[in-house]
Order: sequence, then structure tokens, then C-alpha cells
Amino acid sequence: MTMTRRKVLQAAVLLLPGPAIATRTAFAKGKPAPKDAVLYFVWPQDGTVIKGAFWCRFGLRNMGVTHAGDDFHNSGHHHLLIDVNEPLNPDEPIPQDKSHLHFGAGQTEARIELPPGKHTLQLVLGDADHFPFVPPVISKKITVRIR
Amino acid sequence: MRGDIRDINSGKNAGTPENGVPRRLAAIVAGDISGYSRLMQLDEEGTHARVRRLERDLIEPTIREHHGRLIKTTGDGFIAIFDSPVEAVRCGIVIQQNMIGRNTALSKAQWIEYRIGINLGDVIIDTDDVFGDGVNVAARLEGLADPGEVFISGGIYEQIKHKIVCGYESLGDRKVKNITDPVRVYRVLPDPSAFKRRRVQKRGVVIVSLSLIVLVLAGGVLWYLTMQTRSRLPRVAFKSTPSEQAASSSHAAKSSALTSTAANSTTPTTPSAPVNETAAQQSAKVPDTSPTAAPTVAAVPPAATPVPQAAPPPPMEPEMVPLPGGSFTMGSNEDPSERPVHEVTVKRFAIGKYPVSIREWNQCAAAKACPFTASGPDDAPAGNLSWSDAKQFTAWLAGTTGKAYRLPTEAEWEYAARAGTRTRYWWGDQLMPDVASCKNCTQVASNDPPSKVGAFKPNPFGLHDMGGTVDQWVEDCFHKNYQGAPNDGSAWRDDGCTSHVLRSGSWRNDARYVRPSNRDGYDTQVRYPTHGFRVALTL
Repeated sequence: MTMTRRKVLQAAVLLLPGPAIATRTAFAKGKPAPKDAVLYFVWPQDGTVIKGAFWCRFGLRNMGVTHAGDDFHNSGHHHLLIDVNEPLNPDEPIPQDKSHLHFGAGQTEARIELPPGKHTLQLVLGDADHFPFVPPVISKKITVRIR
Repeated sequence: MRGDIRDINSGKNAGTPENGVPRRLAAIVAGDISGYSRLMQLDEEGTHARVRRLERDLIEPTIREHHGRLIKTTGDGFIAIFDSPVEAVRCGIVIQQNMIGRNTALSKAQWIEYRIGINLGDVIIDTDDVFGDGVNVAARLEGLADPGEVFISGGIYEQIKHKIVCGYESLGDRKVKNITDPVRVYRVLPDPSAFKRRRVQKRGVVIVSLSLIVLVLAGGVLWYLTMQTRSRLPRVAFKSTPSEQAASSSHAAKSSALTSTAANSTTPTTPSAPVNETAAQQSAKVPDTSPTAAPTVAAVPPAATPVPQAAPPPPMEPEMVPLPGGSFTMGSNEDPSERPVHEVTVKRFAIGKYPVSIREWNQCAAAKACPFTASGPDDAPAGNLSWSDAKQFTAWLAGTTGKAYRLPTEAEWEYAARAGTRTRYWWGDQLMPDVASCKNCTQVASNDPPSKVGAFKPNPFGLHDMGGTVDQWVEDCFHKNYQGAPNDGSAWRDDGCTSHVLRSGSWRNDARYVRPSNRDGYDTQVRYPTHGFRVALTL
């Protein structure tokens, strides 16, 4: 009985026109990114002195922001690296810890609170599976000072 | 010295005093029913009931599935916001396509048709409403749309044009009431070839309606045949055990759109029959490709197939360790997120001896109650799971076993992880080699995912991997610290929170993360390779 029903459903899918929306397929390491993609901080800028907590705003040109897990062409989600000095490993998902913040729900800004002192900030775009793109879409590393 | 981050707010629960009014960029979806007053005149109570049902069975779940938030419903419409324009438009399309299916069984006079407008704009979000120009434009776009159509603004179009395979028909710049600048308007055509088809629409309509008639007829015959079969079946076939009902109810949200269609167009059905659920779920999995097809067809078979199935073998339950209730000191001063240190009392409960393994997870996947089959060694901890995935597993486990399986609360997790100790780690204040799976914690450096659970010594409660191995989801919403946390061991929940708490740290985190008091938050719906969970059981 289940078989019959499934067949009917399949037949119906074939018969009626439906929207062809890309679904997630098998994954490879690091999706290709367009050469002209630019990832940058809308705010703060390099050298900004900030008092207390702040909204960090992420800018992206020539690519789109989507949810982690959504495998749309030329789109990914933001990761904010705070005081990270180790180089990024292109063959591994971007780490997830207190200095690698993930914005897999497609956020384009975040409220950040850091202890007083100098801190570096850097953005990395991750693909559906959190891998960096090839070539990596990465922002300039900026330094901010928290008073 | 590396600074710690004291507060992370994704911007979802915006609104901090120093920031003034919480503003954010959002895709706003405005929908309303065309000819609502005509429908109300026709049948006031009936229309009201149908609209409520639509909201419950179609609008709300569809918005949720597309990671949106329903801000409010008015008598005949709704307003929702989405982080992603792509998801907003997909949601609009799914609703419209589903409505086509729902209307086919009715006479034209009874059709409920939504008009949907979508705009991208900066909005102010209040607790139960949303304000700003962007909302007004979305509402105006909706007013311009014909019944059954989705109109989007130029801003949305720019974001989605290469991401959703659709046809877009430019309608040029339109002047809208009370908005100074003209708005560029596009009509969304769910399937790209529809753009050309609009010209020969009349012929198309004939073909589509003919095929629908054929389908409905075929469906009718099938329904008739299966009804025959059903009447010959013993009544017992309709009875499902309470646990099965619980299992199926956990999927009710997903499949309700489809089962309720069945309820609309056929006799009152037996939505609790477990077989229906799997079918509805399977079809619910493909709403993007067959939203028009599924409802029409689903209207027939689900009602008709409560064939007695051999009960699946009971699942192998995770090994549980019962713990006595007690008080303990929760939190630490090592990280701002772990403050203030506070006393918590937990009731007795049981917790999984290990994190849920791939073998255990895949039982749920095989039962079609969990969203995907994990690959890897059977004994390895299941990973790449979102909080919602973990919740689906516990709902399934509770449903099939009839036992109160659930996620542990954050307090329960820390109580179990400390196992009566007050030191930095459960084994003492100093890191020791080879006691936990974390980065640089083992003598032989390795970056590979753990190949089995329980590879290291258990803590004094006999629990393995309470720290390291895989991050573990708990029930609580993430809060940046314990200010205002409950002290009775219960979960700290908020309505509609978008991130939940992770405990334990993983093989890719260093020793700081293995501490029993360490905590972090992560987006509820997002999967990441190192994220798993363990189950708890109310005793």
C-alpha cells in the first residue's frame, strides 16, 4: 500500500509543474568563490576606539548571505574571528569556539562585548558546511581598541 | 594575553539600553486574503474557522520551516519577518502553491486566496509588532498583487535573482500610497518557464485543470478502492498505542499541512494512524518541488492506508545512569559567561552514560523520525546535529519507548559533569594527558573525529565524555551569563529564542572548553560537525 501511494505521489510530482528550487546536495571541501567577492567591516573600521559593547556590522559584495546548510551558488555565512592568530586551515570547517563566532542564521551584524584593550577582528565567509571558500573570502584583519 | 569575549548577541534579541531602539534589516512578508469580507458574508463562522486552520496548519509551520518569525496575524492576513530574503520568498511561494492545492477541491466562490508582498527594509521590532517604512511597502506590494501571487520589491529581487530558480516579471516602478519614492515591483512566477507560459495562459489553464480533473478522478477511484479495503480490516488497525501517538504528534507540525488537507476534502480522518505520518512526512520533505501536487494527492491516500504493520522492533535505548538529586555550586569565575556562581538544586534524574552514538541516531533516521542518516563508525558519537535535530531524536525516543526521554537541562548537565567535584576539571585542577578528547589534551596529537564514545575514563558518576569528544546540546536557551537563571535545576527557556546552550567542548577545542562549567551558545537551527548531544530521562 505504501508503495502505491509513493508511486502516486511521484507521478503527481512529474505531472504538475512545481518550482525547481535547489536543495542541498553532496558536499565537497570548500566551494568556489567569485574572484571579485569582497568581505569587509561596515563598522568598526581599523583603529576605531570603542567604549563598551558595540554592534559589529559585516559587509559583503558580489556574493550573497544565506543560512549555514543552504547550498546556494555564490553565497555563504559570516564568521567573526576575534584575536585569532593561527592561520585558517582551508581543509577543515572553520573552528567553533569563543574566538570563532558563527553566524549561520544569516546574521549580518552582531553585538560584541570585549574586555578593555586592543583586539583584532577578521571576517571569514563559510560555505554551507562551514568550510572556507576557494579562494578564501576573508576580510582585512582590523584592530580596535576598547576603552 | 588573549581577551575573552564577554557578550555575544547575534542581533536577534536586539535591544540593549545603550543602543536605543532595536533596529534591523529584515525581509518582511505581508499577506492577506483577497475578498475576505465577501467570504465572511457568505459564511462567517465557516470562513473564520477555515482561516484559523490555514494559519495553524500552513502559514505558521511554513514560516517556521523557513526560519522566519510570525509577528502577527490580523483577521484576514499576517506579517512575518525573515533574516534571509531567499527564505522569505520561498516561504511565500510554498504558501501560494499549497493554497492552489487546497482550493482545487472547492468551488470558486469558496476559494481562499492570499495576496503576498515581500520587501527588504530596516525595521523596528517590538515584542509583538514590527514598524517602519519597510513594513508599509510590503503591505502596499501585497495590495498590488493579484490573488494567488507574490509581489516582491526591487531590494528583494536583487538579493534573490540568482538564488531562487524562478521567473521574475518586472512591473516597473510603481508609486505607492504614502511612500515618497516609487517602488520597483516584480511578480514572482514560481517556475521560470511560466514567464513564457503566461502568454498562452488560457491554453495552460485548460491543460492544468484537465490534468487536475484526471488526478482527482484517479485519486477518487484509489480512495474508493482503499476505503473498500479499509472497511474489511479489523477495527484494531486504527488503534495506535499512546507511544505511537506521541511519536506521531511530534511530527504533527511538519505534516499537518498535508494531513489537514486530507481532513478538509475527505471524511474526518484518523490523523493518529502512524502509517499516515510517514507518508505525509515524506511528502512534506519535498514541499519545494511538489507543493501543488502533494496536497491534491495527499488528500486521498493518507485516509485510506491504516494497514496493520508489523510493529518495528523496539529501539535499542541509550545506556542510562540514574543520579540522585542534590545541590551543587554551578558556574565559575573563569569566564564571564559562567558568572555569577550560584547554588542549584536538581531533582533525581537519569542521564546517558555516553553521547548519542551514530548507531543510536540512525535508528531514529531509519524510523524516518530524524532528518538524515549519519555516516561513520557505529560507535562514534553522532555529530553535525542542530539543537532541533537533537529535539527530534528525544521526541522520537520518548514516543517509541513511552518513557520521558528528553534533553538534559543545563544545570543537570553541569551537575552530572561535576559529579560531586568542585575542581576545575572533574579529575582535579590540573590538566592531565589522556583523560579527555580535546585539542592538545592527548599525548598523540590528533585532529581526527572520535571513532567511539567512551574511549576515556568515566567521571565519578560513571559518565563518559562529560567534557571533550563532542559538544552537547542542552534544553536551555542561551543567555550570556547566569544573571536571572533558575536555581531549581529546570531549563531556562524563552519564547522563540534563536540560540541554545552547548556544553562539553569537542575534540577540536582546547582544554579550557573541557571544564564542566564551560558553556557556549549556538544558533538553534544550524548544524556543525562537532555538535552532538546526550539524552536525559525524568525519573
